[in-house]
Amino acid sequence: MSHDDVIDLASGYVLGALEPAEEAAVRDHLATCSLPHAEFEELGGVVAAMLEDVELVEPPAALRDRIMDAARADLAARASRGPATVATPVAGPEPTPAPPTAFPSAAAREVRRAARTSRLDWALRIAAVIAVVAIGAWGLGLQRQLDAANRFNQSVASVLDAAARPGAQAVILTPAEGKQGRGIAAVAADGTVTMALRDLPTQTGTQVYTAWVIVGKNAPVSVGDFTVDANGIASVTTRPEPAPPGAIIALTLEPNAGNTAPKGEIYATGVAPGAAGATG
Amino acid sequence: MNERQTGLRGRTASPSDDADRAVLALVTDGQLDALQELYDRYRTMAYSIALRITTDPSLAEDVVQDAFLGVWRNASRYVEGRGSVKTWLLSIVHHRAVDAVRRRRPTTALPERETTPPPALTLPDIWNEVAAGLDRDAIAGAMATLTEVQREAIELAYWGGLTQQEIAARTGAPLGTVKSRVRLGLLALRRALVGDDGTGTEPVRDGMS
Repeated sequence: MSHDDVIDLASGYVLGALEPAEEAAVRDHLATCSLPHAEFEELGGVVAAMLEDVELVEPPAALRDRIMDAARADLAARASRGPATVATPVAGPEPTPAPPTAFPSAAAREVRRAARTSRLDWALRIAAVIAVVAIGAWGLGLQRQLDAANRFNQSVASVLDAAARPGAQAVILTPAEGKQGRGIAAVAADGTVTMALRDLPTQTGTQVYTAWVIVGKNAPVSVGDFTVDANGIASVTTRPEPAPPGAIIALTLEPNAGNTAPKGEIYATGVAPGAAGATG
Repeated sequence: MNERQTGLRGRTASPSDDADRAVLALVTDGQLDALQELYDRYRTMAYSIALRITTDPSLAEDVVQDAFLGVWRNASRYVEGRGSVKTWLLSIVHHRAVDAVRRRRPTTALPERETTPPPALTLPDIWNEVAAGLDRDAIAGAMATLTEVQREAIELAYWGGLTQQEIAARTGAPLGTVKSRVRLGLLALRRALVGDDGTGTEPVRDGMS
């Protein structure tokens, strides 16, 4: 299928209105063609917006039970088939961290800050899932599912305790691209972050991990250094630092303790959640 | 807003998309609670879309069930930075509904559709912001800027599950005319919703309005 043919079919494609053979041909072309196909994104965006224009009808309550029963059965079937596949692709264990890449210099950051108005530009350097969850009903579920390492369990319990206090919320820390390292954290009302972390590569020499709070476009503020044990697990309580909604919590591996500006690579990040009702 | 101009793969998504991603991450990890949460958030829109397309409540339920089971099994296929979880999820529902409708009709033979929607149906950054702020009135208003034949063609395609050839047969218009109406209609919608036509690459052939 020629490039022009594909463009001619773009509208039909995004609406799902092509003959099956045409649709397959376009799909194949898109998968292999290196030229840009901006029209697909532009038209596709319109189509996605059309989904909003639907008259709302509540489904029957029984549908929810049927779906959950089917999901439960599917989970059981997967479990009985053998070791669960890890849905999130994880690179092989990397005991020696790669040499740290430096953050851009202060001058470079300033130039970049001036050039962009997006307050998320620092976070956008991090190719990672940034996730927020309210502990609520999932607290127990999460706890049951997490690894059995004793120290990790204890630190998770601390995190859940902290998350249960008034004004506190839970944050999931997820790995930066190409990195391991994940955990859960509770941001207390006073800004203290209590974290339970795992899968972080063990530090060597004078290296330490540092937790940072980044508010808006301000420079990262260190809230504490910590080390992980031989199993890659750490239990951390930081000093209090205001972490308003949208503040980013980032973990880096620093060449030495006590840095006031990050020099090392980012290993994991999370975002302090917004005001109550953000998930409503 | 200038965030649209960054063109970066990151998002300036609404807080609810952040939460959705958290939920989906937990679904990927096999958390049933998370699937339940995702269902509760989007069950009404999912069912409404399925019902509108299938016009059959029982079939619509099956469609929604299939879609959420598909998400349960394939949550890891959601691609970061290409659009909101909501759009991804509801596009899956739309696909399955159109599949079900076409199977019901004896005519068009279908290939097996995957859970992953075609790449074009996921949104670039600019649309996250726009879509987050849209409501039914905005879309309805935008649809009103189309000509009647454009609106008809798009609705037959998107909500009727007809192919362009089928629309041509049903309306008696030549296929080329149908394609043109669909394309111009989508461009008009985009103009009404966003205020520009995008890059609008023209194919090297005549269009008819």
